[in-house]
Amino acid sequence: MILKKLHQAEEAIISLLLVAMTLLVFVEVVLRFGFGTGLSWGQELTLHLSAWFVLFGISYGLKVGAHINVDALVKLFSPPVQRVLALVAVSLALVYCALFLYGSWVYLEKMYVIGVSMEDLEFKGWMVNWMSEETQELLKIYTDEPLVPLWLAHGMLIVGLVFFSIRLLELLWAVAAGRSAGFGHHDEAEESLHLAEELKEDVIEIDFEHPDQGDSK
Amino acid sequence: MTTATLFILLFGGLLLGMPIALALGLSSITTILIFSDDSMASVALKMFEALSEHYTLLAIPFFILSSAFLSTGGVAKRLIRFAIDMVGHIRGGLAMASVMACMLFAAVSGSSPATVAAIGTIVIVGMVKAGYPKEFAAGVITTSGTLGILIPPSIVMLVYAAATEVSAARMFMAGFIPGLMMGLLLMVAIYIVARVKGLPSQPFPGFRPIIRSGASASGGIMLIVVVLGSIYGGIASPTEAAAVSAIYAFLVSVFFYRDMGPLKEQPWRKAGESIGAMLLRNGWIMTWALPRSVNHPEVRKTVLDGARVSIMLLFIIANAMLFAHVLTTERIPHQIAESIVAWGLEPWMFLIVVNILLLIAGNFMEPSAILLIMAPILFPIAMKLGIDPIHLGIIMVVNMEIGMLTPPVGLNLFVTAGITGESMGWVIRSVLPWMLLLLFFLMLITYIPQISLFLPEYFDQLHGYR
Repeated sequence: MILKKLHQAEEAIISLLLVAMTLLVFVEVVLRFGFGTGLSWGQELTLHLSAWFVLFGISYGLKVGAHINVDALVKLFSPPVQRVLALVAVSLALVYCALFLYGSWVYLEKMYVIGVSMEDLEFKGWMVNWMSEETQELLKIYTDEPLVPLWLAHGMLIVGLVFFSIRLLELLWAVAAGRSAGFGHHDEAEESLHLAEELKEDVIEIDFEHPDQGDSK
Repeated sequence: MTTATLFILLFGGLLLGMPIALALGLSSITTILIFSDDSMASVALKMFEALSEHYTLLAIPFFILSSAFLSTGGVAKRLIRFAIDMVGHIRGGLAMASVMACMLFAAVSGSSPATVAAIGTIVIVGMVKAGYPKEFAAGVITTSGTLGILIPPSIVMLVYAAATEVSAARMFMAGFIPGLMMGLLLMVAIYIVARVKGLPSQPFPGFRPIIRSGASASGGIMLIVVVLGSIYGGIASPTEAAAVSAIYAFLVSVFFYRDMGPLKEQPWRKAGESIGAMLLRNGWIMTWALPRSVNHPEVRKTVLDGARVSIMLLFIIANAMLFAHVLTTERIPHQIAESIVAWGLEPWMFLIVVNILLLIAGNFMEPSAILLIMAPILFPIAMKLGIDPIHLGIIMVVNMEIGMLTPPVGLNLFVTAGITGESMGWVIRSVLPWMLLLLFFLMLITYIPQISLFLPEYFDQLHGYR
């Protein structure tokens, strides 16, 4: 039950991030053409939303099998060998996560210690004024110019990769237990066929059967 | 040594069945770890920057979202009706209309397999009923479905632009004439076959039905006009045009076409309704539907579908940029380029090699993934040989088109086999003659750069850049 709610929340966050990006760029276009103005922080925010969208979404992608792979060679082997290969592949993916998590941690720690901020993206006063000075100090927000601290903006690296690793571990377990075949991917061709199913029912109202036959000239 | 490690790890990972994104990322990061002084922290930063420093890349999720809203059966039906009314009365017209419908739907949806599924399901059955051989019908549709990645706006072109830092707007200009040309080439071939085989034509419907079906199809066609118009006119960047087209696609599919969302099955005009009552009723239900559409299950599912594809693509791109970074810092393409120049390889010979390489790769991988791996390698070599980057991009895209028709990963083949219920072998045989046409077209594109370069250069002159 809780798990189901979490999954719904995950999907909602991903959709919201995508919609927010789209609307933001759209609003900027409207502002530029309609009012000749723009948002100084618009581009930076949109780009960071997109990075958050991808990093947060990769684990969801793993769950629904969105990440495409090449399975031409693997399919040539017998099922037991395929399973071993899948175990190796998932383990290598975990190595990838471990390396990136380590790198991200070192990077974010540096950014935090130095106290680097974003270039244009600022907190509004009401967002930070309720915090005590110690908290602001701790978060590396500067009261005179409350720019968003970089470690916070780039922190999605850690969040996304941790979720990705959890889903990978789940997958590893499922493959070992024989419940999953590995990174099965969402087949674009198969998906398109749903469109075909939808259309098969209703025949378009064109008289296909009585064309002009023979030479008319 | 470095090169060997990088490629062995990459291909090892790919063949093991790892996701393409992870294989690219892992091979790059391991190579950096072993051979380079770059710290892991800088690699993490590179990864984040790949996702947050490229404004052009944002056009990809936006176009995917807009095509998710408009890749519906309803849009396909309207475009087919319009195309049949337009060219159906010519000999072999039904097949030509299918090509035209494919071109329009492909431009709107940007996806080749979706085009084959949506248009093919309706017109293949229709053509067979009208007396066309089934093999002919299937071949035409499978082939013209590939136009999706050549006719702008095209996601594959955006991927190329991202991988090589070529202007996406110029790629969109360059693809326009080749796309039209390919369509016309197919239509001419159909006309000749129709004359020889005595294939039927439809009765001419008169002008009123053309106008009526044109108006009904305009919701989809306007999207192409708005997007290309604003990009060609230099008014908006591809990213902005894509965001506008995503919003536009949502409004058209939910409020104008009513293919999905709370207004589904609500007619614009009920039988016997007066104009005033119609306007009033529609105004009311549309206002009421706006807040409800945001949380409507169909709309949510469409957004989530778009999100899934976008995440997958952008994640591959981020890792591919890391891969490209390793290639550049290790000067791998430059070394290859230097040895190629030392062999005295002419540009035209190099282009043959490029074509062969891409055609082989196209048998095994998705277009975007191939571009992301091959473009960083081939691009510097082509620059050294004096080949125009835009021209190279169009060559690569046309190669990817052919890749969609070759087994074992030719997506369009699977879709056609699915909708016709025939075997893969049958579909491949049906496509073969058309594939030869495509190969001929590839030669034209490869050796006559003006086909691709005319429009971008013309617009440059128009805007006074040169």
